[in-house]
Amino acid sequence: MFTSNPFAELGVFLPPLAMQAYIVAAIIAVAGGTVFDMLHKSSAKFFSMYLERSKAAATKTLSSGDKASIAVKTLAVEIATSAEFCNPQRRISHLFMFYGFILYCTTTITMVFGYPTPATPTPVALPLLWNLGAVMILIGGYWFFFFLRVNVAKDGQPVFRLVRADLFIVTLLASVTFALVWEFAQSTGNPTATKVALGLYLFFTTALFGSVAWSKLPHMFYKPVMAFQRRVEEADGSSSLPSPVATHEGR
Amino acid sequence: MPTFVYMARCDGCGECVDICPSDIMHIDKTYRRAYNIEPNFCWECYSCVKACPQNAIDVRGYADFAPLGHSVRVLREEDKQTVSWKVKFRDGREKNFVSPIRTTPWGSIKSPADYDAPSPDAFKTQELSHEPDALNIDSLPTLSTSKFKIGVI
Repeated sequence: MFTSNPFAELGVFLPPLAMQAYIVAAIIAVAGGTVFDMLHKSSAKFFSMYLERSKAAATKTLSSGDKASIAVKTLAVEIATSAEFCNPQRRISHLFMFYGFILYCTTTITMVFGYPTPATPTPVALPLLWNLGAVMILIGGYWFFFFLRVNVAKDGQPVFRLVRADLFIVTLLASVTFALVWEFAQSTGNPTATKVALGLYLFFTTALFGSVAWSKLPHMFYKPVMAFQRRVEEADGSSSLPSPVATHEGR
Repeated sequence: MPTFVYMARCDGCGECVDICPSDIMHIDKTYRRAYNIEPNFCWECYSCVKACPQNAIDVRGYADFAPLGHSVRVLREEDKQTVSWKVKFRDGREKNFVSPIRTTPWGSIKSPADYDAPSPDAFKTQELSHEPDALNIDSLPTLSTSKFKIGVI
């Protein structure tokens, strides 16, 4: 079950071109949804005004080398290790989902475009990594959903009272869960169960990528930009925050 | 001077929800970030401002008497036991303050859970919890009955 390419088996129902077109449509939906979200909420306009204010308040000019160094630090700290989270449990949960999602997406794209039919045998590592990515998403995701969501953990809301902020995590978990159910149904050889699981998998995957404009998925673009900007402000003196005590003048 | 949250800084940890004595810091249903649900009820105690690990909370004056455009930001550094404030005025002036977070060493005050449970007899006394030990005195001062006004006895 874990070593066979589930998308190659899908060729029985769908031509490879349809699967590939679906993935391209999903990528376009993410890009389009993010742009729509930025325009609709005026976040791009707000951010450009914020940048102007920040530049005006800067006390020193950063060289391109400084900015490159800041970009590397942002990549290594805020992005690669999710250091922004002050709660260690949330940080670990996010890292599970983050790296799981990367593994899951890259192996899905590789298998659909590179090995779309049983005629092109898939390397065993790819389905294994696909399953590993899916399991990582589910570990981090269900941990977050049941125990770490702040409105549940701190605001006392019931676990199953879903709000709009849950759109991303619910569609992500449902999509990945039904992906594994579909893979299992394929391995049992039950065509009805396979079709039902595939339908649910496609439904929630479409909901995941089609709802980008209303969900929290675009945070994967916004958060790194803001993390970089925060570091730039600390370096060029435009931050409104007090300097750390050790660097206070005269101390 | 009610609080507000910089949404781009907030990571939705909920520390402000826990600490707010007025219970007005809550979690937004759309973005799962903290926000002040009722600025009119804000006590301006700055608890959430100081507790926020992301420095995502600021305070603002009411527009009718405090012109907008200023900022009051805080940086809490527990490892250095300092709390630093940077106050920016609308006319460009800036004031910086650094204070010790507390006057006793960090972690030196016992939490209520660290004390023994009071005995049933303790409920019959006039003393409050952990008195007189917590006041660093041997016993609370008392009045002798001879000093009471006549008629009180």
